[in-house]
Amino acid sequence: MNYIAQIIIAFAALLLIVVLLLRKGKLPVKYSLVWIFSAFLMIIAVCIPSVLDFLTKLLGFELASNFILSLFLGIVIFISIFLTVIVSRQSTKIKMLIQEISLLKEKVDRINDKNE
Amino acid sequence: MRTDKVLLIIPAYNEEENIISTCNKIRSYNENFGTNYDFVVINDGSKDSTSALCHENNVKIIDLVENLGIGGAVQTGYKYALENGYDVAIQFDGDGQHDVSYVKKLLEPIKNDEADFVIGSRFVKDSESAFKSSFMRRVGINIISFAVKIVSGKKIFDTTSGFRAASRKIIELFAKSYPTEYPEPITNAEILCLGYKVKEVGVSMEERVGGVSSIRAWKSVYYMINVILSILICSSKRKRK
Repeated sequence: MNYIAQIIIAFAALLLIVVLLLRKGKLPVKYSLVWIFSAFLMIIAVCIPSVLDFLTKLLGFELASNFILSLFLGIVIFISIFLTVIVSRQSTKIKMLIQEISLLKEKVDRINDKNE
Repeated sequence: MRTDKVLLIIPAYNEEENIISTCNKIRSYNENFGTNYDFVVINDGSKDSTSALCHENNVKIIDLVENLGIGGAVQTGYKYALENGYDVAIQFDGDGQHDVSYVKKLLEPIKNDEADFVIGSRFVKDSESAFKSSFMRRVGINIISFAVKIVSGKKIFDTTSGFRAASRKIIELFAKSYPTEYPEPITNAEILCLGYKVKEVGVSMEERVGGVSSIRAWKSVYYMINVILSILICSSKRKRK
């Protein structure tokens, strides 16, 4: 089996996992898009060898497999930066929620004490 | 600026040993000197009896439903100050490090429109503080102070001081955004970069009676990198405006 078939199988498996997660509702469509897009990109890249060879030479890689590996690494780095941004945005929101709930609780306690 | 309604924000994490004595000191100061400083304890998810003790002693307390860290806790205090119409909010340590009799001195520059933000400092000329922190920590403070000077052009000597008075404008600013980690040096630089007037006044501080400093030895390298990077970033924000 040559590397192209292996890569196609790997990314088809990735697509399958993403679709299964989507169906179960464990992954929102918003975040699945980046995975589906990158998997398709990879499959297309390896299916059309002429384009792949052209890009490999253009970017100065010796082997197409090195190019694919680098491309995939780039995508993964991009996704992890994207995830870090999401995590920090969410922790800011959680912090705000904790603060607002705690302030409200204090206010409710104060009003209850007054009424008793 | 008005300084009629003053709130002391006392963040507390596992401070059962000191919190009540700190609050009682403020109460007796209010009685003896006819001042009217309100104070609120922000309980940052303590696992000890901090919360129970405060409720027993009728101390105004906000129990955070989850631990937020010092920045998130203090910011809750600023939000409370904003909501309840306080003129000035002062950060005050729950562990007996700060002395309530210096609050008056911190309020003075705000009252006279000399400053929007006042820092209680151990390192300015009129400070009588015997406790000046350890040598290594002073080196760290000097480096941070130098970084603040580079980005803002102004010198803050005690840039890690947690004894600070914020006028209404700064309360609004802090209620909106406040760093989670190591807020003191970072906000000092931010406020200066935004063009607010900052003044340092000498205070004396005690060595902490109980509890552990939030700056642990093994974290100090991370602390320095984090703080200096944050300060440099805040200067780039100013240029954009």
